Amino acid sequence: MTATQTLLFALLTPLASATLIAFFLRRRGALASYVSVAAAAAIFVFTVLAIRDMGDEGIVASWDWLTFGNFNVSMGFLFDGTSATMLTMVAFVGFLIHVFSLGYMADDGARARFFGGLSIFMFSMIGIILADNLIMIFIFWELVGFSSYMLIGHYLNTEEAAAASKKAFIVNRIGDLGFLVGIVYAYWHFGTTNLSEMQGIILANSGLISATIAALLACGFIGKSAQFPLHVWLPDAMAGPTPVSALIHAATMVAAGVYFLIRIEFLFPDSIKCAIAILGTSVAVYAGFSAYGQNDIKKILAYSTLSQLGYMAAAFGLGFPGIALFHLITHAFFKALLFLGAGSIIHGCHHEQDIFKMGGIFKKMPITSITFLIGVLALCGVYGLSGFFSKDAILIAAGLQGNVLFAMLTLGAFLTAGYMGRLVWIVFFGKPKSKAAEKAHESGFTMLLPLVVLAALSVVGGYMNLWPEQLGGIIRGSKDALHHLDGYDAMHHTVLILGSAACIVGLLGSFFFYGVGATEDRLEKKAGPVYGFLKARLWFDEIYGYYVAKIQQRFANLLSVLDIFVIKGIFVRGTAGVVGLLGLGSKSLHVGNIHGYVYWFLIGLIFFWGVASGLFKAF
Amino acid sequence: MEHDTNSFILLAAILVPLVTGVIALLGGRLNTSALRSISALGFGIPLIIGIYLFCNFDASLIGEYNFELRAPTGLESIGIYLHLGLNAISLPLFLLAGVVGLAAGLYAMNSKAERLNLYLALLLFMLGGLMGTFASVDVFFFYFFHEFALIPTFIMIGIWGGAGRRGAAIEMTIYLTVGALLSLLGLIALYVTSGVDSFSLLELRNYLSEQPLSETVQSNIFALLLFGFGILVSLFPFHSWAPKGYAVAPSGAAMLHAGVLKKFGLYGLLQIAYPLLPEGGEHWFSLIVWLALGNILFIGLVTIAQKDLKMMLGYSSVMHMGYAFLGLVTFSVVGVGGALLMMVAHGLSVALLFMLATCIYHRSQTFDMSAMGGLATKAPVLAAFFVAGTMASIGLPGFGNFWGEFTIFAALAETEHTRWLVAPAAIGIIISAIYGLRAVANIFFGQPKEVFVAQLESDTVVDLKLSEKVPALILIIALVITGLFPRLLSDNANSELANLYPVEDTLPHHEVMTLPSTTDAHKELTH
Amino acid sequence: MTIGLNAFLLVSGLLFAIGLLGVILRKNTLVIYMSLELMLNAVNIALVAFSRYNGTMDGNIFVFFIITVAAAEVAVGLAIIVALFRRRQSVMVDQLNALSR
Repeated sequence: MTATQTLLFALLTPLASATLIAFFLRRRGALASYVSVAAAAAIFVFTVLAIRDMGDEGIVASWDWLTFGNFNVSMGFLFDGTSATMLTMVAFVGFLIHVFSLGYMADDGARARFFGGLSIFMFSMIGIILADNLIMIFIFWELVGFSSYMLIGHYLNTEEAAAASKKAFIVNRIGDLGFLVGIVYAYWHFGTTNLSEMQGIILANSGLISATIAALLACGFIGKSAQFPLHVWLPDAMAGPTPVSALIHAATMVAAGVYFLIRIEFLFPDSIKCAIAILGTSVAVYAGFSAYGQNDIKKILAYSTLSQLGYMAAAFGLGFPGIALFHLITHAFFKALLFLGAGSIIHGCHHEQDIFKMGGIFKKMPITSITFLIGVLALCGVYGLSGFFSKDAILIAAGLQGNVLFAMLTLGAFLTAGYMGRLVWIVFFGKPKSKAAEKAHESGFTMLLPLVVLAALSVVGGYMNLWPEQLGGIIRGSKDALHHLDGYDAMHHTVLILGSAACIVGLLGSFFFYGVGATEDRLEKKAGPVYGFLKARLWFDEIYGYYVAKIQQRFANLLSVLDIFVIKGIFVRGTAGVVGLLGLGSKSLHVGNIHGYVYWFLIGLIFFWGVASGLFKAF
Repeated sequence: MEHDTNSFILLAAILVPLVTGVIALLGGRLNTSALRSISALGFGIPLIIGIYLFCNFDASLIGEYNFELRAPTGLESIGIYLHLGLNAISLPLFLLAGVVGLAAGLYAMNSKAERLNLYLALLLFMLGGLMGTFASVDVFFFYFFHEFALIPTFIMIGIWGGAGRRGAAIEMTIYLTVGALLSLLGLIALYVTSGVDSFSLLELRNYLSEQPLSETVQSNIFALLLFGFGILVSLFPFHSWAPKGYAVAPSGAAMLHAGVLKKFGLYGLLQIAYPLLPEGGEHWFSLIVWLALGNILFIGLVTIAQKDLKMMLGYSSVMHMGYAFLGLVTFSVVGVGGALLMMVAHGLSVALLFMLATCIYHRSQTFDMSAMGGLATKAPVLAAFFVAGTMASIGLPGFGNFWGEFTIFAALAETEHTRWLVAPAAIGIIISAIYGLRAVANIFFGQPKEVFVAQLESDTVVDLKLSEKVPALILIIALVITGLFPRLLSDNANSELANLYPVEDTLPHHEVMTLPSTTDAHKELTH
Repeated sequence: MTIGLNAFLLVSGLLFAIGLLGVILRKNTLVIYMSLELMLNAVNIALVAFSRYNGTMDGNIFVFFIITVAAAEVAVGLAIIVALFRRRQSVMVDQLNALSR
């Protein structure tokens, strides 16, 4: 088996699994879930094999897919160090989440649909990772959007899921509009959309870098990674099953936006990078504040994801794509862990998601709780855990380049520790605050195993020395570049102190402010307006809701009325009316009396006689 | 002229549906199973022939037709022959007619329509006319077969149509007749002014490529063809027949008309008007662009406002025609190729959606989307198919529509004077996502609306039956094939389109610096 | 004494005018019908007179045709009028105006 074939198998195995489930295993949920998990395991095996065989050159392959004149679309693989790193993470985390789902979805009536959807998602995600050109990325980009739609809407008879899935797809489409326009512009600008070829062209002539194209392509990232102003879909997407939130809306799909940026980093001029850095930083802070206004455990984690995506975007914008990828990978480990942990708690508490109705979980679900706490510490960037390395690198990069960004990102770190502390103290400690929480039970083996493995990775994932040699070349490159900047050492110390301070202040501050096992939000009670402001999240949803219902819908209705009254009413009926009037006129000549016709006959006779005798020639 | 067997096989694709149609019509006393097997022959054989001819197609015959057949008709003195043949542009549409014909036929055969034999006979006549339209080289027969297929549509709407069929049928008849008449005038004007004394498209093309008409004549004739064909394709603002007409049409007629017959106008513009009258096309460029944008944006928003499922589908099919027009105005192989892909894929998806809309109606007893909800729990397969159809029509990759839209956008970006169009045209992908997903959510997801609860609990709400699954699957599989392997179409059409649309290559060729190695590339850059 | 062409034409013209006035003014279908016959025969007289005057047979042959057609017309026409009367109990044209409605 050649390396290319191995990659093809990695790509097509989940597709085969999804097809099999859709056509034959629709009513056999258990079998379907095993097929899907087996496919996920196979992906990981193929990934390892492909990395073993990739060599120094990577794996490059391409097939023509469609040709019209001078427009040529191809499908191909560009399997280099970056994509190998990403693929390993996706395959491994994906597999663990599949295993977790075996337990979590065990009593779901539509298990086959769920696992089929997971397989479709894995197929689409791997397509994005391996793609060697923009068009292929776009194709799989849309497909992950579809699988996300399908999985968010899994509980399809709830209004919430129906609305959230629709919203996610449409908001993503808005970003994809820019992406699409960017791709077609790029094609005629560079004469190709192949990533390596475009990179070669820009290396030869950097004057070809176009800010317009870069900005348009970045729209795709803004939609998929839920950045301003298209971030509204991500919190709503929590209506889907928790493993889906872990896989798609935390670890992989939303991060695909950042991965895409890293892949096309060479297309970006400094101005657009700077804009992305500012955008990411503001999302990081905004989402950090918003998390304080949430009571749903999954939504708190969703805002945390938004905030961390902002960090990744900031790292990219500051010119360190490798560090963005680094944070992407570590974030995938600990955020998948947190979501799965939340899933385990939700499962144990009989689908209760309100943190103020939990409490005392630590005693009831010890393994889940310990792994969850490890995830929290990693997210906060406690020294030595994976999150520490990546987050500190981002802060150092920001510190060396801009004061405002540095200040805001550091604020974000304080916020992160604070809202995670709030969650931890309220959920895990104190007394159970609802019957569901009292009856909480530890989850089964298939759910705990992924938690333990992910917890281990969250601890050690940041030590680059432990990584296989083939992976993470770009990360090492960016880290080296960062090390060689002036003032690195001093900034390193500053960040170390600030980062540790953030953890301590955040976790302890929330302990003293909210208290252990609080039954209600103290911020809401003491400072209602502040809480209300945080809960409102700058009224984005309200503004969009107003736009959709009051402006877009009314405009559409107006046009519909115009269509019916002006085009159909005036033009069509108007024409019909003119014809009808002519008909009425000629109808009045039709008297029905034979003598009338005789007179008409005579008049006609005289007329023709006149014509024949040239009487009318004068006219 | 040499005729080989394949020419007569091509003729058979037209004759078999007509003959079986006559048998079905006259055999009113046939029992149902005999009637079904006979009409199954009539619906199935054209597709089989289409696939057979596709496999035997020789794409190297550029500027000529495969499987040519030329028979005298008694009208030789004015240059009319029964001249059949397929080229790389008509072949996909010929196949499309076969696929949609089979699906519509299978669905109609098992429907509970009154006077089933008449219904099937009319569908068969329509199918025969469609196969003839796309297999005609002679412009006269091209037009004749179209009219032949159009008349059964009117009759079917008149007899089996839904509520309000009378007004809709009259409006549709008048519109389409006027459109057909204008295009006939254009075709005759082309015949007269060129002075070739032949209605053969090949001879017209050869003659006009050497002695093109003057610009004024070209633009005048082009106007006739544009508005004539445009009305038939529901070009904005001549679209108002379409939504209402499709809303009341019985499913078989709606599938065949919206899916295939409507493409006649685009096919005429693509195969006849633009290649023969290039300067005419240039003259009307900006008007077509604005009207096409009207189709996409104006009608798109109107679609959002619809509450009736079939009206929404009708408007959405009007909207998507705008893309095809935008593909044509680029006058490039890319754009026209995209339009061709779009026509085929849209035909399949819209036929699928019209069919499923009827299936939904049989379960919900209403087309009002705001009075449904929660149907997916009772009919998961129907929901899955409808989602597939919606996703196809809003251009999800994996279905043919994506390639059509994407290629058209790419074509628009090629030259400076169409580049600005990409963004407004691409807004359509958001609009179609909004109305498509809203429909899905309203019909299938969430809790049933209060008025719908009782209906949802009744015994009539069952999942798709086999007789509904099979035709839907035929269409979905065809959509997926065009989505996964667009080369099946593009490889043949590429050289033929390059012959009809000769344009210069504007693709930039930049110097490429070879990278040290792919794995180190990023490392190098970041240093 | 021979009677000149003009006298024949005068008679023919008079008969035609009487027929025409009858068609225009009378209301009874039967009378209108007879007036039509009168007009036809006025034409016949003129044709025969011209034929004699020119010394050719063309006019006479024409007359034969007219007489034949008129005979057939009478047969059909009278039948229609009888059928009409049976149905409507009237042959007055001012009552036979169903077309205007």
